[in-house]
Amino acid sequence: MGEIWGMFQGLAGGFDIAFTLTNLTFALIGAVLGTMVGILPGLGPSATISLLLPLSFKIGSPVTSIIMMAGIFYGAMYGGSTTSILVNIPGEAASVVTCIDGYQMAKKGRAGPALGMAAIGSFIAGTIGVLGLTFVAPPLAEFALKFGPPEYFSLTLFGLLMATLLGEGSILKGLIMVVMGLLLGSVGLDPISGAIRFTWGIHMLQEGIDFVTLAMGMFGVGEIFYNLEKVLKTELVTRKITHLWPTLKDWADSKWAVIRGSFIGFFIGILPGGGAVISSLVSYAVEKRVSKTPEEFGKGAIQGVAGPESANNAAASASFIPLLTLGIPGNAAIAMIFAALLIQGVQPGPFLITEKPEIFWGVVASMYIGNVMLLILNLPMVGLWVQLLRVPYSILAPIVVLFCCVGVYSIRNTVFDIYVMGIFGVIGYLLRKVNLEPGPMILAFVLGPILERAIRQALLISAGSPLIFFTRPISGALMGMLILFIALQIFFSIRNKKGNQ
Amino acid sequence: MGKVSRPGPGFLPFGLALILSALSIALIAKSWKREEQSVPFWPERGWVRPLLGVGIFLLYAVLLPLLGFILTTFFFLICWMWVIERIRWATILPISIGVTAVLYLIFSYFLEVPLPAGFLS
Repeated sequence: MGEIWGMFQGLAGGFDIAFTLTNLTFALIGAVLGTMVGILPGLGPSATISLLLPLSFKIGSPVTSIIMMAGIFYGAMYGGSTTSILVNIPGEAASVVTCIDGYQMAKKGRAGPALGMAAIGSFIAGTIGVLGLTFVAPPLAEFALKFGPPEYFSLTLFGLLMATLLGEGSILKGLIMVVMGLLLGSVGLDPISGAIRFTWGIHMLQEGIDFVTLAMGMFGVGEIFYNLEKVLKTELVTRKITHLWPTLKDWADSKWAVIRGSFIGFFIGILPGGGAVISSLVSYAVEKRVSKTPEEFGKGAIQGVAGPESANNAAASASFIPLLTLGIPGNAAIAMIFAALLIQGVQPGPFLITEKPEIFWGVVASMYIGNVMLLILNLPMVGLWVQLLRVPYSILAPIVVLFCCVGVYSIRNTVFDIYVMGIFGVIGYLLRKVNLEPGPMILAFVLGPILERAIRQALLISAGSPLIFFTRPISGALMGMLILFIALQIFFSIRNKKGNQ
Repeated sequence: MGKVSRPGPGFLPFGLALILSALSIALIAKSWKREEQSVPFWPERGWVRPLLGVGIFLLYAVLLPLLGFILTTFFFLICWMWVIERIRWATILPISIGVTAVLYLIFSYFLEVPLPAGFLS
């Protein structure tokens, strides 16, 4: 009982921090920005958080900047559905499946209930996710104190491989991006011996490749270059949005979808390598399977909106768990927040909750408040946000590029960094063109040093025997799960191939 | 590189290089086997707009220390919206002025970034 009491005390302390004027303001800024980039297609939460990384140098305390960035991340999950429903283009990646039934509902004149259900489902799932975070994270962090180098190696490996197994597109290409990210992360000083690697005598590279420059180049600038190829047109299916409050029948149809979505999202979000995008896809598949009327899916079934939109919000909250308890980010957007913490001199890991309780509980408490703010922003005020879709991408794009340029310049006040970011931007553009997604790469770049330190220390302990990763119980269990997932993947891909022939 | 029992700084990069080679060979082999119709890398003239974007970006980096933040940013916006997007001047001008002013306000005034002043200084 003492432990649960401790959590309530911690949470109460967190609310004291979150309710200060500064932190409330930044939570609101985060929620507004998140909704905005969620709605705007071609600009996702990862890109936006990377855009704001240079600013986190300037915003005073770590709590405040993480509160804002967290707000952007889960706020984008709210906003994304709006564009999916009204324009049939996903506002961000986790709302791809919402297009299918959301847009059909809008075409039938039911845009209101679709938007309303998405917002309410998001709120319920978001809150369930934060509740889970509140009560799962502290015991998990305590458990993680037992982790040594072999456990950390298995865990990071698990996260990286899961991110490619569960991610979109070819697994082979995902793996290539992971290895490239790990190699990029090893540029600079070796974390153990201090030897210099891959700098080719360039002085600027000794401290390694700067994460902010890399992230802004790959995600911010690279995405803009890529989107320049095609002309993004946003045509609204309907201008008037009425009956936002779902009918009783809508409620009855979607209540279980929301609850199932919340739990699916939570469990996939907590998984290293999981995240909002995958959870929404899984939720849609599950809803279609359990439905008594699966033929309605694709023609405007409200469960097809309520489930995935709930799942991606629960996943967004849950993906803070591996970050704040293990120090291991599970996906690209969370990797950005990980970087922001490091920039502020905070090392996320099992000690965070006990050593820096103000950060952990402050951020958690702000997420309860943020979800309420987002419900208000996205339900009664949705009509205002729809106006945002009238801002053409042709005006938005140069502004984003400028923001990246000035942002990266502001870190060290040198134009050199703008050139470096530009190079990463072009690389990011070309990689996207050949379907190499930069997400796993960014994740690997961040996890690289952790992975390397862990594997080298583990091998020192075991005097070179790789068996150490399998014989220790926690590490062994993770490796076992990983092998099981890979075996299942191979099994299904062979079966699918046979099915196609 | 060190030994497996005492892994040195080159241990992980070497291992990664091996894995990357194996993966690359697998990818090449896979695309070799599957004889797909080759798709042009860029759809017809699809490279024009991205190339213009990269060019204007480069121009911005070159001119920024020379002309200073305000002028370069203003010209960047005009260039981008006129050359790439062909928007009406009546839209371009107010947006360029407004965005330049807002960015200047955010970065120079609120965040106190010493933006390059160029020849105006």
